[in-house]
Amino acid sequence: MRRAVSVLLAVTVAMVLADSAVVTLALPDILLNLDASVGQVAWVLIAYNLVLGLAAVPAAAGLGIARPHVVSAAGIAVFAGASAWCAVAGSIEVLIVARCVQALGGALALVGCLEQLVTERGERRGVATWVTAGVVGTAAGPVVGGLLTQAISWQAIFVVQVPFAVLAVPAALAVRSTVTPPSDRHRPAVRANLTLALMSAALTAALFLLVLLLVEGWGRSPATAAVTVSVVAVAAVAAPWLVRPLRPSTEVEVATGCFLVAGGLAGLALLPSSHLGWTIAPQVLVGLGLGLTVDRLTSQAMEMRLPRARHAGWTIGARHLGVVVGLAVLTPVFTADLRDAQVPAQEAVTALVIDAPLTPQGKIAVAKTLGSALADERGQVPDLSRAFSRLDVDARDRPAAAQLERALDDQLERAANRAFRDSFLIGAGLAALALLTVVAPRRRRTS
Amino acid sequence: MTSPARRAALPLAAVALVAGTIGVQLGHGGGTYEPLRPADACIERPVTSQVDGIEGLTERLVLIGIDDAACTLGTSREALTLRIAQADEPTAAEIGALRRGLLSAVRRMKADGTLPPASDLVDEVLGSADLNPLLERVVRALPDSAINAALKTDDVLRRTIEGLDLRRLLRDVDDVSAIDEQIEPAVTQAVKDSLEARVRDLV
Repeated sequence: MRRAVSVLLAVTVAMVLADSAVVTLALPDILLNLDASVGQVAWVLIAYNLVLGLAAVPAAAGLGIARPHVVSAAGIAVFAGASAWCAVAGSIEVLIVARCVQALGGALALVGCLEQLVTERGERRGVATWVTAGVVGTAAGPVVGGLLTQAISWQAIFVVQVPFAVLAVPAALAVRSTVTPPSDRHRPAVRANLTLALMSAALTAALFLLVLLLVEGWGRSPATAAVTVSVVAVAAVAAPWLVRPLRPSTEVEVATGCFLVAGGLAGLALLPSSHLGWTIAPQVLVGLGLGLTVDRLTSQAMEMRLPRARHAGWTIGARHLGVVVGLAVLTPVFTADLRDAQVPAQEAVTALVIDAPLTPQGKIAVAKTLGSALADERGQVPDLSRAFSRLDVDARDRPAAAQLERALDDQLERAANRAFRDSFLIGAGLAALALLTVVAPRRRRTS
Repeated sequence: MTSPARRAALPLAAVALVAGTIGVQLGHGGGTYEPLRPADACIERPVTSQVDGIEGLTERLVLIGIDDAACTLGTSREALTLRIAQADEPTAAEIGALRRGLLSAVRRMKADGTLPPASDLVDEVLGSADLNPLLERVVRALPDSAINAALKTDDVLRRTIEGLDLRRLLRDVDDVSAIDEQIEPAVTQAVKDSLEARVRDLV
């Protein structure tokens, strides 16, 4: 029974942190279904991370007023209610407001669950469970979201959270801490939290941009993208096991992790083709980096610091405000680069059509079909397969038209890659900055 | 493993992994995975067509002509094509450059010997032109040498290009019958004018 309670609390922590990026793969569907703009859709992610980042420390302060089981149960209930509200949202504005409420509940649930896991499992194991659940949730969020969107719909992402949360409310109420939270004794771990914020921004670049590149740029299905990005989650889980025999210090582990994330993002900026296989090695680097940094930094920021929940609040704040900074920096860059990529892509497509081994009438038919396909796509990367399925060409032109379709797809994928390159490199720069915060010499304390 | 070696193992492994990944990617063209860049329109490129006869000849003339026009306007063939396709109305400079480009294409094809003699095109022209049946029969009966002596392909093409309303032609580019309606009279008129000019020269 106590084990089930711990599992439910850990799942709640994972769910709240997974929600930070769970909708990433559903964004194209949300954009279409709720008739939103790209800027509005980005706010579905930004709003959640912003509110979670800002509310975490005040939520921890709430533990001084109310008991952890009350804070947890209330937080989980609000989170569940808001999740259901997200699922039935009929407009992008309602969805964004529901996401804010969801994040508010999530902040309360996170700090409350930390105290309860410590009560249940003891200080060391309780904090470790909370931290690990957070890392798994962060890494698995986009994967789960993508699979649910593909299998059912984007609303399913929110619906499946409700039963878990409904079970977690009585579980939270069942764990009653008898210890009064200690008063403020330690200052926040500024360096660890700063590194965590920069790494979160860089990891946002990795996960958010990669799924957008796969779905929007390369036209892969959300399920394919979800399975592809699961490499990050698997590598993140494997990382601590792989480095254990070397017994590195926390600084070496974190610095190495930052370097791996920077290298992985640079690798994503330099993909040699749109074959999914090329994304695996850079993703492994990012996943290993994620596994070596986030839990270590979170533990470092909280270790021996009291009150525990307050410091957990600072780490949550640092992580999610880092995500917001990442999105705020990257969204305008890649949307502008995508816009700028349209002209080179159109010119490449034009060159291929002009030089295609088609009859003049075939070329004119292809040009007409492509023209209307480009006009229908509202600035997104066009789906040429639909356009070519409508194409009416002479039988002798069909093999050349099929070959042309493949060549045009390749050009669009090249244009998308080029458009995402700067953003991946900015992400790599953020990870390199995080590395600097780790290796920069510490200020000597004067007595 | 000794302590310093163990401390260095993780960073060294990370450097090897990152260098290996990026090195392999760059080795496979990771730095140059970008869309095709338009070629310099001022550099001559070979043009081909999948069809023969007047349609093939027209296609080759248009392809060379657009290159020449783009070179004159200081842009790429692709950018000019897109501009003409997307703009409501091409500018006077674009129309002028296109006409000069088509005339230049005729000169280039004549110079490199890819312009077919008039006798190769006569059957096709007669098939689509609305000529007096008697005159048509007379023309068909003429030997190739007589046709080629009377009609020069480059002269007919030059006269046709000069007589065409390019603005209207571009507006109707996706309507085959509308294009035929404009080109046939222009070709017929060009043939007549060319013959008249030959006769005048003989007299």
